[in-house]
Amino acid sequence: MRLLIVEDNVALADELTADLQRAGYAIDWLADGRDALYQGASEPYDLILLDLGLPGKSGLEILREWRATGMNCPVLILTARDHWAERIDGLKAGADDYLTKPFHPEELQLRIQALLRRTHGQVNQPQLDVGGLQLDEAQQTVINAGEAIELTAAEFSLLRYFMLHSGKIVSKSQLNEHLYDGETERDSNVIEVHVNHLRSKLGKAAIETKRGQGYRFIGVSHS
Amino acid sequence: MMRALNSIQQRLGISLIAVLIVAGLLLAQMSLWLFDQGLRRYLENHLQDEAELLVAALARGANGIELDQQHISASYHRPFSGHYFAIHLGEQQWRSRSSWDFNMPAPAQPGLIEHLVDGPQAQQLLVVRADYRRFGKNIFIVVAQDYTPMLDSFRRVQWIGGGFGLGTLMLLVLLQRYLVARALQPLEQMRAQIAQLQQGQRTTLDAQVPQELAPLVEQINHLLQHTEDTLTRSRNALGNLGHALKTPLAILFSLANRPELNAHQELRDNLRNQLSQMQERISRELGRARLAGEALPGAYFDCAKELPDLCSTLQQVHRRDLQLEWHADAGLRLPWDREDILELLGNLLDNACKWAQQKIMLRMELEQSHYRITIDDDGPGIAPELRAQVLTRGARLDEQMQGHGLGLGIARDILEHCRGELILETSPLGGLRIMILLPARRS
Repeated sequence: MRLLIVEDNVALADELTADLQRAGYAIDWLADGRDALYQGASEPYDLILLDLGLPGKSGLEILREWRATGMNCPVLILTARDHWAERIDGLKAGADDYLTKPFHPEELQLRIQALLRRTHGQVNQPQLDVGGLQLDEAQQTVINAGEAIELTAAEFSLLRYFMLHSGKIVSKSQLNEHLYDGETERDSNVIEVHVNHLRSKLGKAAIETKRGQGYRFIGVSHS
Repeated sequence: MMRALNSIQQRLGISLIAVLIVAGLLLAQMSLWLFDQGLRRYLENHLQDEAELLVAALARGANGIELDQQHISASYHRPFSGHYFAIHLGEQQWRSRSSWDFNMPAPAQPGLIEHLVDGPQAQQLLVVRADYRRFGKNIFIVVAQDYTPMLDSFRRVQWIGGGFGLGTLMLLVLLQRYLVARALQPLEQMRAQIAQLQQGQRTTLDAQVPQELAPLVEQINHLLQHTEDTLTRSRNALGNLGHALKTPLAILFSLANRPELNAHQELRDNLRNQLSQMQERISRELGRARLAGEALPGAYFDCAKELPDLCSTLQQVHRRDLQLEWHADAGLRLPWDREDILELLGNLLDNACKWAQQKIMLRMELEQSHYRITIDDDGPGIAPELRAQVLTRGARLDEQMQGHGLGLGIARDILEHCRGELILETSPLGGLRIMILLPARRS
């Protein structure tokens, strides 16, 4: 999952980036509103964390312009403005969630997870539960029939992406775009290696290869 | 305001009536007096002529000087006709037959006697003495005429004039009331507009007023604008301050979460605890400082406009299968700042959403002397014995009833500003009912 953080406070942006990277997200960071307006709409982000008081262009304006052009990437507003009147304005402008500063990092993680699950059609679930597997996003492990399986950071990110796109064909370039931030060198061989690791942990049938198209996550069957 | 208007009206009325009565009476009395004087002068001349005729009627006869009765006007023969004379010629004296047994007065000076003389049969006489010299002798003649018919007609004129004057006065008073009411119309309009302002039905006064009121209206509008600007400015400043404080707090929260601190759990808990307290305090104080309270008379909260957005926001925030319903009287507007009321409802409804199983019901209505807001939920509610504690300032129930405490704290701050009260009850839905009474301001 690739996230864009739009935040003009460098220290907070650093903290957020570090926190979210630990949680297995690929993070891009922008501080200026005008850059965010362009890049948020042109790059395939899975979620955008948007501050409202930005230099260049205010967060609400950016959001309205995005939504007016049909950009539907989920947006979580992260702001110090904690009044209901402002909250209403934010959600009316097209935000999917609204979190006020200061916040507990765990709370932010939970909101991001819930928002991603919701965007991919998994409404009201406390945990990612797809194809007979439960993903524990806090521990970065996967539970298969009650047994916790350790995952490396890369495997965890990959599996989460697969589970959120369960049943759909996912191309290698798509995986590259969504698992790495804008500055990482992308190498599709690396993806293949991680997919094989996942197969060895979950069983060969868990991830199907569609020749020339990509992969499809099937999951495990317990019968 | 109504009373002041009346008093302007009354004051103008009373002074007008007083001036009219005094001026009218003086004028009427003066003209009557002048007319009376003119009439007396005229009659004096007439009586002088009569005296001259009488002198001419004296002639030397067989028995000395005699009065030729042929030459005397008939009215001197009819008893008590109102025309009398007496001629004094040395020892000799003639009296008109009309005077009968009445003794004519003999004034000492020639000319008209200033006052009226009592005559026979309650007549009031105008008496003139004229002196002549004839037949080598001094003659003086006293001629009198009854003045009562004149006095009677004067009295009649006074009555008629009085009645006429009174009628005119009443007409004038009515006219004056109408004119004053018309002239004060702009004041009355302003009064109505100020009432609307207080009820939140308008934000400025109409500037189309007569020249005399323009500075007042301008000044009020200016003050309103100024208050609104000040409020906006201070809200912006508070927003910036909040941003400046909360962003570092967010960083600190994140730092406290660093894996490096995993080994020092106690230190981390301590940090988090202190940070949470700071956060709560900052939110509460900044929130309180933001409140407009009653500073803005033109502010209002339009239920039908704001509630749908608030409810959909709450639905979106809670993401549960919640039935959040609201009902408000048609066109209901609360005369308080929009953000204050949104904050009040937002916090209370947010709590209700946290605790409700499924249903939350918001009702807003105007009763005679107050607006009543009720928020019902079907959650666990608060036991009656704990309710007082929840409402007490500084109650440490915050931790036990996470959420309820803080939301109620902000709500209490807002209600303090709006002079409202908050009552906790058991809801018919089974959970907690929060009832808020806000005073409806009188116009």
